[in-house]
Amino acid sequence: MESRNLVYVLTGIAVALIVVIGGLVLLVSSGGDGDDDGSSGGNGDASPTLGARVEGELRIPGGDPITLDPACATDIESASYIIEIFSGLVGYDNNLELIPDIASEWDVSDDGTVYTFHLRTNVLFHDGSRRVASDDFKYSMERALNPDTASLVADVYLGDIVGVDEFISGDASEVSGIKAPNPDTLEITIEKASPVFLPKLTYPTAFVVDRNETEGSSCFDAGWTFSPNGTGPFELAEWDLGNAIILEPNPDYYLDPKPSLSKITFLLSGGSSFTMYQNDEIDITGVGKDNVESVRDATNELNAEYRFSTTLSVSYIGFNVNQEPFDDPEVRRALAMAIDKEFLTENLYKGLLDAADGILPPEMPGHNPDLQGIPYDPDAARDLLDDTGKRDLLEDVTILTSGQGAAPDDVLQAITAMWEQNLGLTITVEQEDFALLTQDINDGNFDMFSIGWIADYPDPQNFLEIKFHTDSSNNDVGYSNPEVDRLLDEANGDLSDEERFELYQEAEQIIVDDQPWIPLFFGTSSLLVKPHVQGYEAAPFAIPNLRYVSISD
Amino acid sequence: MPSGLASYIARRLLIVPFTLLVISFAAFSLGRYAPGDYVAAQAPPRANQETIDRIRHERGLDDPVYKQYVRYMGNLLQGDLGISQNPRGVPVEDVLLPRLWVTFQINALVLIFTWVIGIPLGTWAALKRGTWLDPFAIGVFLFLASIPVLVSVPLLEWVLIVKLKLLPTGGWSTAEYLGVELGVFSKHAVLPVLVLTISGVAGLARYMRAQVLEVLDQDHVRTARSKGLRGDVIVMRHVMRNALLPIVTIFGFELAGLIGGSIFVETLLGIPGVGQLSFQAVTTRDYDTIMAIVLLGSTIFVLAMLTVDIAYGFVDPRVRSGGSVQS
Repeated sequence: MESRNLVYVLTGIAVALIVVIGGLVLLVSSGGDGDDDGSSGGNGDASPTLGARVEGELRIPGGDPITLDPACATDIESASYIIEIFSGLVGYDNNLELIPDIASEWDVSDDGTVYTFHLRTNVLFHDGSRRVASDDFKYSMERALNPDTASLVADVYLGDIVGVDEFISGDASEVSGIKAPNPDTLEITIEKASPVFLPKLTYPTAFVVDRNETEGSSCFDAGWTFSPNGTGPFELAEWDLGNAIILEPNPDYYLDPKPSLSKITFLLSGGSSFTMYQNDEIDITGVGKDNVESVRDATNELNAEYRFSTTLSVSYIGFNVNQEPFDDPEVRRALAMAIDKEFLTENLYKGLLDAADGILPPEMPGHNPDLQGIPYDPDAARDLLDDTGKRDLLEDVTILTSGQGAAPDDVLQAITAMWEQNLGLTITVEQEDFALLTQDINDGNFDMFSIGWIADYPDPQNFLEIKFHTDSSNNDVGYSNPEVDRLLDEANGDLSDEERFELYQEAEQIIVDDQPWIPLFFGTSSLLVKPHVQGYEAAPFAIPNLRYVSISD
Repeated sequence: MPSGLASYIARRLLIVPFTLLVISFAAFSLGRYAPGDYVAAQAPPRANQETIDRIRHERGLDDPVYKQYVRYMGNLLQGDLGISQNPRGVPVEDVLLPRLWVTFQINALVLIFTWVIGIPLGTWAALKRGTWLDPFAIGVFLFLASIPVLVSVPLLEWVLIVKLKLLPTGGWSTAEYLGVELGVFSKHAVLPVLVLTISGVAGLARYMRAQVLEVLDQDHVRTARSKGLRGDVIVMRHVMRNALLPIVTIFGFELAGLIGGSIFVETLLGIPGVGQLSFQAVTTRDYDTIMAIVLLGSTIFVLAMLTVDIAYGFVDPRVRSGGSVQS
């Protein structure tokens, strides 16, 4: 009796299973050959009811920004909205050229420390109430720097300006290095000449905000950012938390080309963006590892819509170079030599990332195509490590990474497996929340860590000086090489770009030989863009590029 | 009202604030003792450590936990839930309430479907005892209740969205009816409600079946049957009514779960509900939002349990005598 019941129970499970799987198989086989044109034709058929698009509208997936306050943004997600809604003195175009923005031109004093910006006179705030004058910039930058605003990054991007320290410490009521002698002229004095002062001004902390709505507000008080009175190519029409951010063109925009999209909808909710793209609910989507192979297949009808480009970012493994055994460059080189980066890009990233020999990404001005990286050579790696005699010291080391999963990401698993296989080392991977990881790195509380770095502006200084100069607060591995410091300092002088890049390339080669980092991969971007979207170019870092986009309906 | 019952209710009510206080302190300190805080979580690698420390100090994040707790509770008692950190600077209620509404709509529909389908289905299965249909149904329930949403959501998504193009890809509708945002009447609601209803029905039907079987074996049912009462009368009056009693407790749990939200379903389908918010709040150390979710959830849970207990008190005299029977 009992066993007969069990048979019925199992039959029930089996029938349910068969119904589910059978249904799926039926769907696949019936959809089989008709499926390919089914989805392309289906796009047109199904879309009117699902993702109705108004004329000239661009629909892109997005996330809720942490903040829309230019003084406070620290992440790419937030910056990508802010750069469309607000603007500053200077900016970047799609070719990574620094271009005039609200400042139509500027003069630099002979010693390179005084910048005189001449402002356009036709720049209005979105509400049309008044033009942007130089004291609006003075106000905005001082607001960002004001400790009461509690910006985490203002001192990083505006810290070169004379008088900032006194202002932050409360010893001065204004930043003496920022002057507004008349409404059309802004004069900024910096401590010492720097080729990257202008690039730093393209970051949102230097953007202009409306005094009337931001006075007294801090980064922990976002009320005004729901109806920001900006100056950028687009205006915020609606921010419906968790659902959508809607931008509309600024009719008074002052640069050419003026925005031509009638509306931009960032969808903050929704499932897989790849599926949404296939269903014609959005016009642009990123492509991940899971789908990239099928999209790259020339027979896939999506292949024509596939765009591949590189970004200005690099991922790396950092060593604590002031701690045994990583104070020995030979140990670092041996570990680097045992990693087969090409294998990782091909097999784990499906070619979505480029293997990195050096520090500077290929698109970065000053990138050195002839740089000598550390080649993959397992036998030499083993010999090198044995010669150092420090194998024992590598027994208890861990590598920190961000993550919450049951297992660390594939790449770190593969790398530790390579170290085990090629060097006989067992190195433990420890996952932490990103917040904790950056804190441990700041505190120097690590043996090794795995993280990435993305450009704020396209200049080698943003990677080499910031990450490897002895005096840089962002030199988290603690690397110090007097020769590198000398080259980096020299590159900050009054030189042509060619001369500067030569110095950077020399410094980069020394750094790569020393391997305080094992550079792993350069970032890339894989996108699908609908054919009716014209003029969209993937930005290698946050660049306001939506005013170049139009829709051919 | 019998005096025993009144004092029973009074006793139960007195425990409520105490329970909530314990929960709030536990949740608060667990959150604060977890490594990292929201300032560190948002500080980019570029930020200067002195700036991070200064802001942390200004926000009182370096105070002892008990001090922070007292400050938090002080604000809370004045009706201040604090501010969200993601998006930063928005009052917590502005972030939480719209999401609460979305989750509530989904779960209310699921609750109705689950009970309307699950109870008759479970009873039916129990009455088929002895035939092949009963164990067969158990098998089907077991299978459906065991599919994790991590499997069922992508499967249904693929069938209903990619292949048949019947539904939009996740997300939530902000359509309004009579001035109220009621996304539950849109196609966006179909998939989450379907997924949650399937597993809910299967679970409830199994439980109901077990209860009915237990009652069927009891003396009074046998007596009723031997008296020659009609089958459907026995089932309605003697069996279902008794079998439903313990199930009321489950109903209490599910009522409390109305605002709980499903982290998996909401995250997979990109539905802006409480489940998705909880996940996001925890990973960004969004303290005030986490506390608001925990406190609201536990308050409703405690109140639902209180209601169930009091209902039991009315029905079952052994409960209010305050001894042998625990719920």
